[in-house]
Amino acid sequence: MNSGQYDFAVIGAGVVGCAIARELSRYDCQTILIESRSDLGDGASKGNSAVLSTGADTPFGSLECRLVARGHARYFAEAPSLGLPILAIGSLTVAWNSDQLAMLTSMHADAVAAGFGDGEIVGPDFIYAKTPRLARGAVAAIWDPHEAIVDPFSTPLAYALDAVENDVEFRHSSPVTGAFRNSGIWHLETPAGNIRTGTVINCGGLWADKVDSLGGFSDFSSRPRRGQFIVYDKSARSLLDVVIKPVPTPSYRGVLVTPTVFGNVLVGPTAEDIDDPDDWRTTHEGLAALREAALRILPELGAHEVTATYCGVRPGTDRAEYRIIPRPDASWVSVAGIRSTGLSGALGIAEHVVALASGFGSHLARKSREPRPIRVPSLCSLDPRPWERTATPARADLEIVCHCEGTTLGQIESAFASPIPPRSLKALKRRTRATFGRCQGFYCGARVRMLLDEALAGRTA
Amino acid sequence: MTNPDAIVIGSGPAGLAAAISLRQGGASSVLILDRDDSAGGLPRFCAHPGFGWEYTRRLEGGPRFVARLLAQLETDAVRIATSTTAIAVHPGPEVEIVGPRFGHTRIAAPVVVLATGARERPRSARLVPGRRPEFGVLNTGQLQQMVARRIPTGVKRAVVVGSEHVAFSVLATARKAGISIAAILEDGARIRSYPPAEWLARLLGTRILLKTRIEEILGRERVEGVVVRCPTGALTVPCEMVVFTGEFVPDSVLARDSGLMIDPATAGPIVDQYGRTSVPGVFAAGNLLRAIESSGWSAIEGARIGLAAARHLRSAGRWRPSGATLTNGRGVSYVVPQIWADDEIGSFLPISLRASLDHNRAQIRIVRNDEVEWRGRMQSMRIGRRLPISSDTIDALARRGGEIRIDIA
Repeated sequence: MNSGQYDFAVIGAGVVGCAIARELSRYDCQTILIESRSDLGDGASKGNSAVLSTGADTPFGSLECRLVARGHARYFAEAPSLGLPILAIGSLTVAWNSDQLAMLTSMHADAVAAGFGDGEIVGPDFIYAKTPRLARGAVAAIWDPHEAIVDPFSTPLAYALDAVENDVEFRHSSPVTGAFRNSGIWHLETPAGNIRTGTVINCGGLWADKVDSLGGFSDFSSRPRRGQFIVYDKSARSLLDVVIKPVPTPSYRGVLVTPTVFGNVLVGPTAEDIDDPDDWRTTHEGLAALREAALRILPELGAHEVTATYCGVRPGTDRAEYRIIPRPDASWVSVAGIRSTGLSGALGIAEHVVALASGFGSHLARKSREPRPIRVPSLCSLDPRPWERTATPARADLEIVCHCEGTTLGQIESAFASPIPPRSLKALKRRTRATFGRCQGFYCGARVRMLLDEALAGRTA
Repeated sequence: MTNPDAIVIGSGPAGLAAAISLRQGGASSVLILDRDDSAGGLPRFCAHPGFGWEYTRRLEGGPRFVARLLAQLETDAVRIATSTTAIAVHPGPEVEIVGPRFGHTRIAAPVVVLATGARERPRSARLVPGRRPEFGVLNTGQLQQMVARRIPTGVKRAVVVGSEHVAFSVLATARKAGISIAAILEDGARIRSYPPAEWLARLLGTRILLKTRIEEILGRERVEGVVVRCPTGALTVPCEMVVFTGEFVPDSVLARDSGLMIDPATAGPIVDQYGRTSVPGVFAAGNLLRAIESSGWSAIEGARIGLAAARHLRSAGRWRPSGATLTNGRGVSYVVPQIWADDEIGSFLPISLRASLDHNRAQIRIVRNDEVEWRGRMQSMRIGRRLPISSDTIDALARRGGEIRIDIA
């Protein structure tokens, strides 16, 4: 068993940190995943568009492009066995005028040259057959059949549960406040004591520069970028069954309109450079711009209610590229600058980072036995509801608590019984969708709060 | 379970009153479904007086009012299934339900009454920017449930957004929970509720900030305050809770999911003067039809629709024959009912329609096939107020068919 010393400490349980921890769980080594907050996936990973990119919209030839393409392929191969839904609805990158058409044509030529040959240029007939409610005036589009929508909250959870099931230790609420290296061993200071590890993998996301500075490294500085989103009511889902993307500019990929796996329609993001990575505010201007874009692209959205607004902050740095820096002498890998492609790239990044870290010294051998499997419950609106899954559902699977999202008491109870249970309302929302829906807790907010308070009291008692 | 004569979905004032009059009209068995864990709908969380007036001619608290309705349903012929969710109404009609008591199943009945009520629009739908703290941003409905269920809020000061009647209901709830109201915010130049509400607020020492809108919510885990924009500039009001009140919307998901025709003006199902929807056998009543009228008004709608539904049960007649259409013109937000059928199966729904603009010396007109057929004068008409047009006035005109528009000239 663990002698109090780890071979790897992964700092930061965002989607990338969780994927790396899962990757390491396939090897004969002791790994700990350390998270400063009470829940995983609570930073950059929680506020994205949930579109799984193929890599065709990343800079060709870059590390990001390679790892996103690899991450996309692995997601399709591995996510289903984790219980994660994938809706491969495809995307249309739409040109609305001749300038955009020219850009679209050159984008497509570049993509083909870079090996992304599956996208094809299509005309209005194809576009409007695919998405009849799109605003008139589309000139042409790139149709990419491989882009998919996924569950951004269950994805890091599934990776972490898989890692924990396969002997990785997960420690939440443990901010790393200092780091020093003594006789080849890193000592990471946390409020609950020092964690000793051979190698550190910094997946600090928005705070990766701060974590690096604890180790004495300062190769980059953070340039967080805020993106606001609007989520439309499920009544709007029938308007759209494809991801609609604009022709990007060099600095901004633009506002996309997409269905979500939960059955809503999502519009966003904005792109605002901010100084403070903790500045998670939506703004009048941002929401107004999104609403304007939404109605311009899909005019009928105007007749539908808004269910939620949120923002995410993307972990950019002073360069528009991934900053994955192996430091063999220091046994430290910085995994930073993952920008907006963490969800898509995570499994590719994990493979790449573990390959880098395994070259640091001692040989890293794959475990001889097969990994133990885990599954997360699907929260996809198209999948059977708990009461539909068997002929004789359990009582708790028949009791709906959150009516907007159809969350049952059974789902809430099994979230609390999980090896990584929710410790806050937002964590419970991400696992079960309770109170995430159109009424935002008007009906069930009080009861969900009560269930949460009881579960938390039971855990500390 | 043997199939009942009628299924009522929702056990608020409209649903309970519908069940009572279904029984009075001769339905031998009624099944009432409610997804919540006890019957009574939203009034049961509002202890202050003001409920049921139009129906009972008493001014009672919400729980007393619904208890009075429930008392009339204490018979073996009526079953109330709580914690039971209606997922869809299928043709037949047949109601698909889920709940611990009956499992996941379908129950057929010749008559189904939808009375699923209304809810307030949440902060998100109002596009109020700022942070999204986990605690302290909610609607009146949730606050009232928390207080009624004795869930501690841990809050000392709250800001109330909106000044409809329900905003002043929050004053009573907050008092009970030991929460002081730092301010009531209203976009407009005067409160939406009636003047006595304002006097009450002043008596309680609550500030009402007019021409003031909420600009931003502050606080990471918990609410720490709100930034408001008032005529004199921006102002930060410290508080630990923001209660978004009013802006009710019909809870019409079941109606939509069941394929009922929806009126964009109300966001509720289209009904005729007897509460018949576009789907045979399916009636609708109460604040599902539009948001919102009072609990007493909703109960009266429920009662009349219940009688019509009972008549339908006995006659098994044709479903909603053609008739006149009623629409809202300039200055009017909506008109319920939207259809005036040309048959005779009971007493009419009261006409529910509201002003969408402020008017001085307003003239209300009923226009049939583009000809003005009726005029009514009023001193002034405030946005959101009900327009006084009687069902009999409409009936006299609508029996001739055609397209009827109600507007303010």
